[in-house]
Amino acid sequence: MKDYIITAENIQLLVNDVLKQGWDVVSESKTGVNFNAIKDASELAIKSDSKPSKLSMKDFFFPKTEPLFFYRQSHDGVELVDASPIEKKTLFLGAKPCDAAAIPVLSKVFNWDYKDEFYNKRVENSVVVSLKCNYSDDYCFCTSIGLSQKAEQGSDAMLTEQQDGSYFLHIVTEKGDEFFKMYSQYLKDTQAENNKPVESKYPEPAVKFDQGKVKGWLDANFEHDFWNNLGDVCLGCGQCTFVCPTCHCFDIVDENCNYHEGGRMKNWDSCQLCLFTKHASGHNPRDGQTKRYRQRIQHKFKYYEDKFNEVLCTGCGRCTRGCGVGIDIGGIMERIDKF
Amino acid sequence: MENIYKPDLAEVKEIIDETADTRTLRLQFKDPEVHKAFSFKAGQFGEYSVFGEGECTFCIASPPTRMEYIECTFKLVGKVTNALRKLNVGDTIGLRGPYGNSFPLEQMKGKNIVFISGGIGLAPVRCITWNVLDLRNEFKDITIVYGARRVEDLVYKNELEQWKAMKDVKTYITVDPGGETPDWKGEVGFVPSIVEKVAPSGENSIAIICGPPIMIKFTMPVLQKLGFKEENIITTLENRMKCGLGKCGRCNVGNVYVCKDGPVFNYTQMKALPDEY
Amino acid sequence: MAELKEIAKELLTSGTVAYIIGYASEKNDKTVPFIARTVEDAEKLVFTHHSVNNLSVYLKRIKKPESGKVGLVVKGCDLKAVVALIQESQSKREDIYIISPKCNTVVSDNTKPWNKDNIASKCLSCEVRTPSLFDATFGEIETVELPSDEQIELIKKVEAMSTSEKWEFWKNEFEKCVKCYACRQACPLCYCDQCIVDKASPRWIDSSATVQGNFAWNMIRAFHLSGRCIGCEECNRVCPVDIPLSLLNRKMSMFAVSEYDYKAGTSIEEPTLVGTYKLTDNEDFIK
Repeated sequence: MKDYIITAENIQLLVNDVLKQGWDVVSESKTGVNFNAIKDASELAIKSDSKPSKLSMKDFFFPKTEPLFFYRQSHDGVELVDASPIEKKTLFLGAKPCDAAAIPVLSKVFNWDYKDEFYNKRVENSVVVSLKCNYSDDYCFCTSIGLSQKAEQGSDAMLTEQQDGSYFLHIVTEKGDEFFKMYSQYLKDTQAENNKPVESKYPEPAVKFDQGKVKGWLDANFEHDFWNNLGDVCLGCGQCTFVCPTCHCFDIVDENCNYHEGGRMKNWDSCQLCLFTKHASGHNPRDGQTKRYRQRIQHKFKYYEDKFNEVLCTGCGRCTRGCGVGIDIGGIMERIDKF
Repeated sequence: MENIYKPDLAEVKEIIDETADTRTLRLQFKDPEVHKAFSFKAGQFGEYSVFGEGECTFCIASPPTRMEYIECTFKLVGKVTNALRKLNVGDTIGLRGPYGNSFPLEQMKGKNIVFISGGIGLAPVRCITWNVLDLRNEFKDITIVYGARRVEDLVYKNELEQWKAMKDVKTYITVDPGGETPDWKGEVGFVPSIVEKVAPSGENSIAIICGPPIMIKFTMPVLQKLGFKEENIITTLENRMKCGLGKCGRCNVGNVYVCKDGPVFNYTQMKALPDEY
Repeated sequence: MAELKEIAKELLTSGTVAYIIGYASEKNDKTVPFIARTVEDAEKLVFTHHSVNNLSVYLKRIKKPESGKVGLVVKGCDLKAVVALIQESQSKREDIYIISPKCNTVVSDNTKPWNKDNIASKCLSCEVRTPSLFDATFGEIETVELPSDEQIELIKKVEAMSTSEKWEFWKNEFEKCVKCYACRQACPLCYCDQCIVDKASPRWIDSSATVQGNFAWNMIRAFHLSGRCIGCEECNRVCPVDIPLSLLNRKMSMFAVSEYDYKAGTSIEEPTLVGTYKLTDNEDFIK
């Protein structure tokens, strides 16, 4: 597949054109908090050297709250009504590679055996154009889990900021190729050797650990004193899991309803919340924050790998940056690596 | 778009009060075609829902050999079970499933089977018991040990009588000491000690055991003393579930999803699990 | 800092306290909550401009020791939460060994160096840099140049809005809420055994992060903290989507002062505002 050059101005024109075609265009919001569907190209915030937004973009594939179906009920019976079909096409522009990489990771859990078409449909309807990352801080660790600042997993195309202010557009998938062929008037021909990226102000992430070694330790040490102190200061909020691009636990509840009508919702939930595993009888298999924190680490770096040969993490560091009590997942991995 | 979370509609055909707080619902899918197409194996579970209240997970308590009704038995513990209790005959509920693995029926054939259960733990055991009894010739000796705290806590009372009346089944019904009534004719004692007294041989045998953790804990050494191999002691795990589909991340014990890899586990598998259930 | 370590070592050696909840250094200047159980642990305790967390939250989150007190490193501002917990019969004064430093303000952004432009907004109107209730204190007060209080300006701005403008303002903020409950978990005064949002039958507040569910949650929490919030701004700090919860809480606190002359967490002898009724209580604003 062919690569291209696109100027910053043409990105704007392309985006407005895409919006005109009735697509949504989603990019990081200027506040740095979340991803937003923009109304005009002027709202675009494509910055390769910015800190990852506080929330990942998983909300657009796996919404924080989503109706699964609606019911109408009377004494004569019940009728189930499908939620509105997921048809909107969406262009994701300027996502970090660590954000895009979460999509195929989540696809695995949403598709082993039973297929969650709510998730699949959204992925199917999306074109993800990521931006080579020129950022790192004390909490990033993409390079320790097999990704990098230019990892292509989950991206349909990837932009790389060039020294002359334009972008090198590398097409990754057929879907990306088809998409950009529709907008070829904004693209200039190029070849791989024309790719002259800007120099990153930031070095590669400083956090380094050997995931294979960490996995080996986790395999053998479900019980270990190490866990005891970890949960000590954790306040048991769900921040780390909610900002995470790969955490996918959810709850199913009937809400916003009365006897006659209502909906069944699929809502983000968190293994860090104390009620998550609590049985109606009162018994709670994970009855302390230490156990709940261990679950998070084990799920990400062992259980998921056991099942899907992949870690449930993209090294974006959001959980650590946002943690109110400074629990540092990369730091924990480094400590495990040194055991 | 296929929607794995959307249940089929089923009608409550009959309500049976087992004890003061435990009830069985006999269900039929509203759509006869759906009912005809529905098949499951003993040990699998379903997600039952009351619209506006939510979903709840129970094993299918009726056997796959008797498909006229799908039955579930539940104890009043929380929001959804409370709503399920308010249902009348003719009301509609949602049902999706079957989910999870099942008891190893094929592997059980040609062997002696011992069914051990306590309290509402009889629900999954009842399913496999009838399944086995309906195919009686394919199994050797059958022993049933069931116990509850008090006489009034015994579930499926009619069926217990039917089992007792069967000549080719040894049935022992027990209540905890102090739980007997003046006219109680069954055993008195905890389930582990009744199993010890009955002493079924572990030779060419499979034990199916479900009930309170404390009962399982004290019955295990008895079974091992009787010569049951660990892989031939089979139980079901209950963990809080929501989706039943291996997605919502709630029921895992270590890297095992109870909803997909379970709920049926043998004792060898159980021992490999971390203590989080 | 040496003073803090000496105090901590003495307390742990003598068995006066079972453990000390304090701060330890992390990467760069950042400090994180740390529980010192041994004399070696005490060596790690620090108190800096980056000691932002209100550690009194742990009084209700960590199991009480079987013997000895709980040592707590707590700034003057956060100390008000300890006072409120004692007022509300959640903690006993004699169970806590209060180590309260003289504080020269803390940062707003824990990952950046402390300077005039990186000072937490709660410090800008602080009257308790020198604590009034403690078992041990340390440090010296220095003169700190403070930036202007933008938060109070924003409160005035929201106050001046019409009802529909206020609705829009808060709708935009609450829309972002993901229901992670970090605000609740970080709050020393959110100690209910069962939070109203976790009650399933009946369900009072939708757990779904819809506009309706988010309004219900955030407003109910603000109401539950009215006259109780001591202004540590931890909810605001830990919110992953930057909802300015302090605006609500501070406004309610200002109300408690203007209507009832009550400042939460001022005195352990004083009855709580919501726990007392006076015939002279102003009821004009309840409509």
